[in-house]
Formats: sequence, structure tokens, C-alpha cells
Amino acid sequence: MSEKYMVEPDLQFIDDVMGLGGESLKKCFQCATCSVACPIAPENKPFPRKEMIAASWGLKDKLVGNGDIWLCHQCGDCSTLCPRGAKPGDVLAALRSYAITEYAQPKALGKMVNDPKKFWTLTAVPAVIFALLAIMTMFGGSFMAGIFGGELWYHTHDGNPFPGIAASNFISSWFVDMIFVPLAIFVVTVFAIGLKNFIADMHKNALLEGKTAKEKIDVKEFLMTLKTVLPKIAKHRQFTQCGENRERSTAHMMVLFSFIGLFIVTSVVFVGVYFLHQGTPYSQLNPIKWLANVSGVALIIGGVLMVKQRLDKKEDQVSSYKDWYLLGLVLTIGGTGMLTQMSRLGGSAFLCYTFYYVHLISVFHLFAYLPYSKMAHIVYRTVAMTYAEYAERK
Amino acid sequence: MSVETTAPAGGSILVVGGGISGLTTALEAAEVGYEVYIVEKSPSLGGRVAQLNQYFPKLCPPTCGLEINYRRIKDNPRVKTFTMAEVEKVAGTPGSYDVTIKVTPRYVTSKCTCCGECAKVCETEIDNEYNFGMNKSKAAYLPHEMAYPQRYVIDPSIIGTEEAQKCKEACKYNAVDLDMEAKSFTLKVGSVVWATGWEPYDATKIDNLGFGRYPNIITNMMMERMASGNGPTEGKILRPSDDKEPESIVFVQCAGSRDENHLPYCSYICCMASLKQATYLRAQYPEAKIYIYYIDMRTPGYRYEKFYNKLKEDKNIFFIKGKVAEVDEDDNGNITVVAEDAVSGEKIRQKADLVVLATGMQPTAAKAKPNADLKISEYGFIQNDFDKGGMFAVGCANKPLDVVSSNQNATGMALKAIQTVKRS
Repeated sequence: MSEKYMVEPDLQFIDDVMGLGGESLKKCFQCATCSVACPIAPENKPFPRKEMIAASWGLKDKLVGNGDIWLCHQCGDCSTLCPRGAKPGDVLAALRSYAITEYAQPKALGKMVNDPKKFWTLTAVPAVIFALLAIMTMFGGSFMAGIFGGELWYHTHDGNPFPGIAASNFISSWFVDMIFVPLAIFVVTVFAIGLKNFIADMHKNALLEGKTAKEKIDVKEFLMTLKTVLPKIAKHRQFTQCGENRERSTAHMMVLFSFIGLFIVTSVVFVGVYFLHQGTPYSQLNPIKWLANVSGVALIIGGVLMVKQRLDKKEDQVSSYKDWYLLGLVLTIGGTGMLTQMSRLGGSAFLCYTFYYVHLISVFHLFAYLPYSKMAHIVYRTVAMTYAEYAERK
Repeated sequence: MSVETTAPAGGSILVVGGGISGLTTALEAAEVGYEVYIVEKSPSLGGRVAQLNQYFPKLCPPTCGLEINYRRIKDNPRVKTFTMAEVEKVAGTPGSYDVTIKVTPRYVTSKCTCCGECAKVCETEIDNEYNFGMNKSKAAYLPHEMAYPQRYVIDPSIIGTEEAQKCKEACKYNAVDLDMEAKSFTLKVGSVVWATGWEPYDATKIDNLGFGRYPNIITNMMMERMASGNGPTEGKILRPSDDKEPESIVFVQCAGSRDENHLPYCSYICCMASLKQATYLRAQYPEAKIYIYYIDMRTPGYRYEKFYNKLKEDKNIFFIKGKVAEVDEDDNGNITVVAEDAVSGEKIRQKADLVVLATGMQPTAAKAKPNADLKISEYGFIQNDFDKGGMFAVGCANKPLDVVSSNQNATGMALKAIQTVKRS
């Protein structure tokens, strides 16, 4: 504490964080109630009091690479007890949002994802792509068959188009994969670069603030730690320690597990198509179909619960664009997914294809903008929690 | 200095509240020739000051200021005092107010000599509000040693019982009048000064600080009573659960003050009060460790800062920057307080025998809003409108103040009241 420290406030950073839902941060008068109120803050250098002063002083370096902001699960216990209405929980959420855009390259794209004015521009990209692909699928049949070798381009097991209504009759599954497989590679790359910097910064910050005794990160040991952290995440252990916002745990769990369920479904279908030549749609009796439907329903229920909880908490918790964007996306994906299926079974090709079109656009949103949106917390928080465990942060 | 000997017709002043601010206002006005009424709702004058053990920073007892004021009142025929009286309604305009006063019966007349015979025969006990319920008093009681008027009170709870009759019979001076009834009357005054003062903030509302749940967590005003020779422990500071002499004491500053969830403002006196109380403890228990947890130590002015600096040199007094936000009790009644030391960034779990919550002041008008044309702030402070004039708030009815500033403020408001009376 004795060394000289020159404060160099980054005023733009303060403005940005305030704009991301941390508008109350300047109200903080450093009473440190929050650090005690937080049920999951460690004993040594607890958060969020120190983050609050760093934020109001514009000390970006102390925050962006600070793993502690990710340990927070925004239960709101600190905001409830805060004597000033400074809402540390919301400030930390804003800091996380800022950190996400700092680590996700290119930064310009991150800026767009978090700017409500750019929403339609970002939507136009998949909308145009999928519209073109739909036109090619529906009206360029012979041309397409020429390219992909016969009727196989419909992705059906016997090389014939599925009789009746099927998503692949509207936009070829080949096309869908041609979009999403490279997109997945892109997303993984963006995350890889981001994480490399994030982990290095987080470690540097921990050493500087005396939060860890480990000098260097042992990659193998770090990865092994993941094994102890993942079950904690699955059980939502941190969430259930919260006093103020406990019911949120269920909703979050539903959404997380439905995404996992849908991921499994997608993987199985992918393997089915490419290795077993098993086309879609599956029979309604197929267990994979069941999993898909259960997940879809859980996704919608979880999403609705989350929206409801945010609306109920209007007074106590700031909900900004980043939050509504993600919740809107979750509900759109779940809703259009289910509606596509229902209208297909109901026999309306027009409705089915319309819903499917919107579904694809929203999935594109989730995927392509994943490293830039709030959804990226799935990666950063997991890594930060693993680091905290690894660094023996207590 | 010219002294007015006669007040203009209808030119009297009503002071609501007989605490230190009210007394000073009344005396300042009366001693330059104005007729003053003091209306006090409790059975005795003196207000919160009468409950203190010592004033800061001089550490002299409150008898010091109160006695001389009582004496001045007694000697001044222009001051009329009504105790157990409350203002029911104020009607009229500056210079001409009709004030309805309601007096509740004391059941003891001015014949009382304070012989105490009524209390001796009385068996019913009631919570002693003067000591914040830390002990009991008889239902026939003298409010406290320093009470003015020096006159017993019979609690309404025993009226109509045999016990009341026994009290009446025990009185050799025929001072007990059980037929006394509540009465209302109207006073015509030119100006009203509101000196309704403050109440200690209800600490049970601060849920995370455990008051009311754990007996060894007390408030600063309870500490004053304990430290006072006429208090429930006769001046010994002991922890309530087992009367143990405390070896470690934690002060929790801003218990309810500077907190949107409770009192959003700074109560002004609590930092100095805790520092003062640390000296009480230091005098009784030289080896005890004293921990003061604060957000900011606020000791305004040179004298208070000096007081603070002196205590900072004490090796057994520790100042920790960080607000206590959690408390817990173990099987032996010891309290653990949890705070983050904002300087070192470490969470501290401090065990203590006794915890004192430095609770702040809530204006009386926050709960009991006067029935008068007044501007009252969101938090219950009566706001002064000097353009309108006529009625003024003084002391802690207007803003949180210490005794010195209350007196300065009272002198000023006496002049404001006089101006109203003179002009009309």
C-alpha cells in the first residue's frame, strides 16, 4: 500500500460503464457494506467495494482484467443493503459487459452488438443471407442438384427430398451448415484469442493485488481444475447462496440446460446427416426429438421467468439493452423453434418456413455475436471461476 | 442593552418542546421581556440532554447546562411551562395564532414534595422509558433525578385500581388527585417556535445489525444511560446478557445514518458521541480494547478534531475504515461483527463482548407530524420559511445538531420569533 500510485482516470471508460447499466456507480461512498453483504466474496480482497472505487476513478486496467468481476453472479444482495443506491451488482454487470467487448476481436463488432441502434444492421446480415439461400433452394433446384450431386443436397437419407413440409425444402441443410460451421470456427477463434489475453491479464491482476500465491499458471493443472468447477456450475452452487434473488437460479438453470440439450440434439443430427445419412425431420417418437422438445419448452419457460423477474425487479436492478437483447434472443430462438415444428405438423408450409426463417436469423445472432454479447459470460465466467479455484482465492 | 419591560398585546411566543433548544429559545426571548409558553409532552423538561452522561467535547455532565436553565425559568415570571402537554392544532397567521393545547393528567398536583411515599407503596412496575427500558420503575415515579418540575407522576396504567388509591393514601401532602382529567385549552400567541427535537432511530429496523435479536448489541443512547450515575447500572458499563465487564467493545458508526434504507442523512453527532463514549470505557476499563468501525470519521471543527486526534493516540482504541454489515452471536453471548477494512482490503471478523450501534437522530416530526401549516422535509425535518415567518423550527427539529449548535441556533430563532411578534 505504501508505494506511490498515480491515478490516471479514463473518463471515457467511466462513461461507457455508466452507459452499460452502471449509471449509479458514482453514488458509491466506499462504506464497504457490499463486500460483507456479498455471500460469495472471498475473505481476502473481497469484491465489489474495490471494483466500485476503481470504476468511479476510471481505472480501466484494474477492472477489465479483474477475474473478480466474473465471480459475481449479480444476486443483488449488495445492492439491497447499499446505503447509497449505488447498485454494485449492476455496476459489476456493466463491467463484465465492457470486459467482453475488450477481449472480443474485432472490437468494432463488439461495439455494434452492444449498440441498440445497430441491431437492425446486425439482423440484416443473416436476413439477407438466408433469404438468398432460401431462393436458391426453392427455385434453383436443378442448379443446386448439379453442384451438390443429385438430390442429396436436401440432406435426406435416401437422396430424395422429404415429402411434404421440411426445413430442408426451404433452405438446404447444406447451406445452413455452410454458414454455421465456419461461423463456429470463427467464434472459437475469437474466444481463443480473447481468453489468452484474459487469462494473462487476470493472473497479472491477481499477482498485483495479492490475490494468489501462484507465480505461474500451470496449464495442465488449470485444466484439471475445470473438472471441479464444472459440476459447481451445473448445480448453480453460487446462485443458491444468494439471499435476494434466489428464485433466479431455477430460471437460469432451465435456460442453461436447455441450451446444453439443444447442443446435444444438434450434434446428434450433425453426425446423423454426415455419417449415417439420416435426414431431418426426425419422427416425433425419436428420443432425440423428445430431448429437442423438452429443451425447447424449458428454454421458453426459463426465458419467460427471467423476463418476469427482471420486470419485477425494475426498482432494484438495472436492466439495459445487453440484458434484453439476450433474453429476447433466447425467447425468439425457443419460440420460433417450437412454432416451426408445430406449423410443420399442422401443415402450413408458409407459416413453417416463415418461423424457420426467423429462427435461423436468431440462431445466427446468438452464434455469430456470441463472443461480443452478454452470452459470452458462459466462457469468461467459467474460466474466471476456474482461475479463482486454481489460484486458491479464498 | 435596552430591555423591554412590557410585551405588546398578543405578543407572546409559544415554544413547542422543552429540550435544550426549546429552553434556550424560551429563555432568550423571556429575558428580553417577552412572554413565553413552553409546551413539553413528557413529564419533565430537559429532553435528550437530560439522558446524557456527559457532553462532548468538554465531558462535563448535563446538569451543568440544565440546572442553570431551570433556575432561570423558575425565576422568570414571563415563562409558563406546561408539561405532559401537546400541541393539537395551530390556526391563524404570523402574529396571531390560536394554538390548541392538550394536557394529559399527571394525577399529582403541585403540592408534591417528592417525598416518594407514593412510590414506596406502589408495587406495579413499568418500563423505564428514560433508561430505554433497561430497567423498571414504579408506576408512581419521578421521571428522573433532574426532573423539572420536581414532581411525581402516576402512570395511567394503574388509574382505577386499588394501587392508585394506595398511592393517594400514602401522600401526606394530599398531592395525589386521581380525578384529574385531560383538558384542552387555547393559547393566543404571536409566534410559534418548534423545538420538537429528535428520537434515536429505531435500531430494530436495521436488520443486518442484530439489535433486538442479540442482547449485547446496544445503542449509543443506551450506553449514555448506562454510563450515567442515575442510570440503570448506576454508571457501570456492563454487558446486558450477563453483567460482565466488557473487555472488547465495537462501535458501529452510521448505524442507520447515511443510509437510503434508513436515514439518508448524516446525523452529525454520532462520531463524536462514540469518541466520547470511548472515553467512558477508557476511564472504567483501562485495558479494554475499543474498535470503532466507520465510513468517515466526522468531527467537524477544531475542538472536535482535537478530541479525535487525542483518541487516535490511544493504543487501545482502533479505528477501522469499513462499515459493519453483518453480526453474529456465539453461545456465550459474544458478538462477531463483519466488515471489510477498506484500507487493507481484508474482510475482518471481530469478536467483542459488547457492540454499540451509533444510531442517528430521527426528527420527532417524522412520526408525529405537527398539525400546523409547516413545510416538513421528506425525512421529517421542519423547514424554515423566513419569508413567511411566524413559525420557526429550531435545533434538531430543523436539522441534526450537537448541543452547542442547537443553543446558537436557538438564540437566533428567539430573535426571529421576537421579530414576528414586534412587527405584527
